[in-house]
Amino acid sequence: MMGRLMQAEFIKIKRKGFWFLAFLGALGVVAMQMVNYGVRKDYLFTQSEDRWGYYLMNIHSFTPLAIVLGIVILTSFLSSVENETNAWKQIIALPVSKRMVYLAKFTVLAIVLFISSFLMGIFTLLYGLYLGLGEAIPSADLMQYSFYPYFASLAVLAFQLWVATVSQNQAIPITIGVVGVIFAYSASVLPDWMIWKWPSLMNEWNDPMINVWWGLGAGALLYLAGMLDFTRRDVK
Amino acid sequence: MLALMQTEWFKLRKSKISFIILAGPFIAFLGGLTVDFTEADAPGVEWYLILLATNLAYALLFLPLISGVLASTICRYEHQEGGWKQLLALPVTRGKVFLSKYLLLMAIVLVIQLLYLAALYSVGLIKGVTEPFPLTIIWKSVLGGWVATLPLVALQLWLSILFKSYAAPLTVNVVFTLPAVLAINSERFGPYYPWAQPFSMMYISGDPNDLFFVPWEQLLTVVGGSFVIFYLMGWVYFQRKAI
Repeated sequence: MMGRLMQAEFIKIKRKGFWFLAFLGALGVVAMQMVNYGVRKDYLFTQSEDRWGYYLMNIHSFTPLAIVLGIVILTSFLSSVENETNAWKQIIALPVSKRMVYLAKFTVLAIVLFISSFLMGIFTLLYGLYLGLGEAIPSADLMQYSFYPYFASLAVLAFQLWVATVSQNQAIPITIGVVGVIFAYSASVLPDWMIWKWPSLMNEWNDPMINVWWGLGAGALLYLAGMLDFTRRDVK
Repeated sequence: MLALMQTEWFKLRKSKISFIILAGPFIAFLGGLTVDFTEADAPGVEWYLILLATNLAYALLFLPLISGVLASTICRYEHQEGGWKQLLALPVTRGKVFLSKYLLLMAIVLVIQLLYLAALYSVGLIKGVTEPFPLTIIWKSVLGGWVATLPLVALQLWLSILFKSYAAPLTVNVVFTLPAVLAINSERFGPYYPWAQPFSMMYISGDPNDLFFVPWEQLLTVVGGSFVIFYLMGWVYFQRKAI
């Protein structure tokens, strides 16, 4: 059942620019640095001995913003398919469980975001090579900056999907999402417990891995809460 | 015209608009509370520190993004179940519908800006700032930010009429707003980038005798110019839109 439900979700996102968005988000983060380095490469090269490290840090300054915004846009897109056309009735009328419907949506979003993160890693590597930042490519750091923010942001994904699916009016999840983006942007002054801080990989102990575990753990809890809430609601 | 704006307001009132409006002061309030005065090396700068702490995220990202959300919300009723048909079957011209939606949006952005001002003031009261409130400077910042959203709101209204969903206009908004984070660091591009203008106009700088914090030429050409282009494009699109 799960496979076919996911197939249905993938068909719904066809030709809605979903894959384009995943590509655009990944490219956008690197494109910012293309502009940045394109305009003032010489200046940026004098900023640090470790050119790769400095470049990855620059890339990472936009990653949390892009991920949180991407989550807000994609969750709203995916749930508006049903919300706007009153199609919940039709899906739930099928012999499928509501839990599976919710799981299928979450999984599809998680896959799209993962591919986006993967693409971002590739673009980051390619532009870094083009810039000629040095012989030694810090592959461990590259992997960390590409995939850790993704796992750390799963809590935000679970939360936004919850709000987006239960809101008739998409203004609510979007406004919450915009506030979340501001939180993500102000990550350095946020307390560690706020989920929007986690994609920045900052924490008290300076260990990015902690954010990954938090993202997975809180993501699972928020996912469960969202799924239970969704299954208990009336379908209008 | 007045009646049209009234109907727009009635529709909006039931669209959870207060939730959207209160998000702005909420952000400013939280941002202001993070200010640490112990770093202040000169007396009398407390108000400016509060303003600087809240301004960056608020003017750079929040204001452009939320103006798009407002624009989508004002078109929400029409996109549902043939609302455009019902509205345009009334003896109104499309130009007037467009204008009344636009004016109402700008009025709401102004309310958000005023609440932002109130949020700054209450942060100061909570933190026990004893300096006099620098009213003229903060007024300039608040009104300047409002003027800078004129073109952005026009573009978002156009996109919101064009697209049914919230996500599509938001995507366009994000694509243009995020580069502003880089643009404000650049003396060459910053002044010409419309999405960087809310920040430039809310940031305290420049000649204190000018009406706003950016030169008049920049205000007229960049903000005024992009406003005319976006408004006209939206207006023309709406005239020709098949309902």
